[in-house]
Amino acid sequence: MAAEAVLESGIETEAGGRIPGNKGMWVGITCEFVEFAVLFIVYFVARANFPDAFQNGAERLSRVSGTVITLLMVTSSFFIACSVNTMRSGKRRQSIYWLVAGLVVALGYPIAKYLEISSNLAQGINGESGIFFTVYYYLTFNHLVHATWGILGILWVLVRHSFGGYSVEDHHGLEALASYWHATDIIWLIIFPMFYVLA
Amino acid sequence: MTTLHKTPATSLVPLTLTWLVLCVLTVLSLGLGQWFHAAAWLPLLVAVIVWVKGTMVARYFIESDLTHPFIRRLLKVFIAFAPLWLILTGFYGGQFAQWGSLFLKH
Repeated sequence: MAAEAVLESGIETEAGGRIPGNKGMWVGITCEFVEFAVLFIVYFVARANFPDAFQNGAERLSRVSGTVITLLMVTSSFFIACSVNTMRSGKRRQSIYWLVAGLVVALGYPIAKYLEISSNLAQGINGESGIFFTVYYYLTFNHLVHATWGILGILWVLVRHSFGGYSVEDHHGLEALASYWHATDIIWLIIFPMFYVLA
Repeated sequence: MTTLHKTPATSLVPLTLTWLVLCVLTVLSLGLGQWFHAAAWLPLLVAVIVWVKGTMVARYFIESDLTHPFIRRLLKVFIAFAPLWLILTGFYGGQFAQWGSLFLKH
């Protein structure tokens, strides 16, 4: 019954496939990808021109912080995907619990970032410590801003979900939020090795 | 009666397996960075891991196989973009820097 509802409605069908969430969200995700693609080009041009700065810079960053943030992003993304799938099965209460879990884990990201930056500043590492750190702060701060929009989005969707705003037939808002959070997760999965793995 | 159309998933099993693989690959790539930080082939391996992780999120969390062709292509291009640059600058970084300096001079 629930599966039929998912098949017949709750999906925006287009000629060639479905749009998870809504078109507006995918316009936003496309813009987000373009923005980060430009920032990645800046990173690679800087890396090609200053290989030593990138070699030495990465060794001064906390690999533990990078790994913790990656695991937080991946886990919150997983929880939010579970929230969507349980909603499709008609398990509304479970879906809300998964979303709360996704929010709690996602909130760990700004906390981990705060601790990382505090540790950096204590070591005298700021945005003017060289080309590597300028690019590092610019890219990671930008990602943090995008993640903050996502966390606010999770809060909004959670409020709507708690008041019965979504059903098996119509949970586009939940799927749109999930799509944005997964896209932000993909961006972090690219950023992580750039600064924390490739020393 | 079977249907030819794929439907969005309701099971949590593929999501859980994807999450586990993503966690393992994250820890693995960190270990590789520490053990083989001087190896010339490290950028290639890191690029492959980034591509695999991005593709897994797209395929299993966003269910890109069911999406509109534009979304499918957008995800494929974006996920391949950085790993490609990673390989190019990893192996031909010097040449890229030279070309860049030529543009700046003229």
